[in-house]
Amino acid sequence: MNIDTAEALSLDENSEVSFSQLLVLSGLSDNDLRELVDHGALTPINPNASSWMFTSYCVVVARKASRLSRDFELDAHAVSVLLGFVEKIEALESELHALRAGALGHGPPGTSDTVSR
Amino acid sequence: MKYKDYYKILGVARDASADDIKKAYRKLARKYHPDVSKEKNAEESFKEVSEAYETLRDPEKRAAFDQLGSHAAGQEFRPPPDWSQHFASGSPFESMGQGGFDDIDLADLLAGLTGGRSRGRAGGRAGAREGPIPGPDYEAMVRITLEQAFHGTEIDLDLSVAEYDERGVAHRVPHRIKVRIPKGVIDGQKLRVPGKGGKGMQGAPPGDLYLDIQVQPHPLFRTSGQDLYVDLPLAPWEAVLGTSVELPTLAGAVSLKVPASTRAGQQLRLAGRGLSRPGGKSGDLFAIVAIVVPTVVNERERSLYRELSESSNFDPRAHFRLGAAA
Repeated sequence: MNIDTAEALSLDENSEVSFSQLLVLSGLSDNDLRELVDHGALTPINPNASSWMFTSYCVVVARKASRLSRDFELDAHAVSVLLGFVEKIEALESELHALRAGALGHGPPGTSDTVSR
Repeated sequence: MKYKDYYKILGVARDASADDIKKAYRKLARKYHPDVSKEKNAEESFKEVSEAYETLRDPEKRAAFDQLGSHAAGQEFRPPPDWSQHFASGSPFESMGQGGFDDIDLADLLAGLTGGRSRGRAGGRAGAREGPIPGPDYEAMVRITLEQAFHGTEIDLDLSVAEYDERGVAHRVPHRIKVRIPKGVIDGQKLRVPGKGGKGMQGAPPGDLYLDIQVQPHPLFRTSGQDLYVDLPLAPWEAVLGTSVELPTLAGAVSLKVPASTRAGQQLRLAGRGLSRPGGKSGDLFAIVAIVVPTVVNERERSLYRELSESSNFDPRAHFRLGAAA
């Protein structure tokens, strides 16, 4: 069976999507997407331009917003607040992960806790 | 077709009110929603909960589900002979014989009654009675090794997806996709594969495939973003005198010069030896020094340590006295 190989694209800060692309990719309505920008959950690269552009990482955030809005039946304001908390938790988890990675993973063999009196 | 007990999934009685069903769903959504939950298998659990709620919140679908009878979860079953006359009238399932339900998912069957996707593009379902409908997006979790993340890799994904026949009836079919993962991906990163989701209907474009990358733990290296960390055990004399050691990296071993008077916990940085960043410089590799002492020493070694102890002025606890005097 001959299967074509497809390229996976990173959703990160290094590529961009337009407002209309973000609408299609997230499943959000035009109004909801604009509200998320108003509430600060999504920030366009060019906030003063007539047609907004976003980093492609915003696709991850916008899809998350779409899921949260749909699954918890929340409005854009509530989704923005929730996204803010989720983002804070993720940043703390990332910091904790970095601290753990930078700490020694394995103590020398045979080490044990000692109790002094 | 396998039976799913939607009431049991939501933990409600078969005669539960709409309000009770909504409360049960919200409680379980809070527990299992993959965007806010840290529960094991949260995504799978939430899919079940969400599917159950989609059916039981809709009076028409709930009545149709109730008429399917009660079976054990996972048990093979077929709708009763007169079911399609009552509940599938006007739907693509109306003309299906009793043998036509084998590769149909219960959720697709019930969703097909009302036709159309009710939940937007991401994860929605298509029906036959609407105009052009973009294909649904697929999501898959991909576990790769750190070596694969470092070098980039190609993976084969085997998905079970819904494909729609000419009547708009969804059938579960196996689907294999080969995907090239770029080098430098990190744990938790999302990737998009354009056009590799479900087929669109009536000329609409296909959906996309979204990949959630999980990098397996490595026996030597730990990761933080694009940076890598490795423990570097040194003998006490290597730390004091300095040495040159062979250090493993994901691109092969390198010779690392350890300076004299290296302390335990000190991080020796090898610039650019981490994972590559898209469009930028690579992360770094940090070797974290651990001073390891031998657990067994012979008489000669013991004598040398004793001699060192008597001739050295080094006091590793000098700061205790400074602290006490303050």
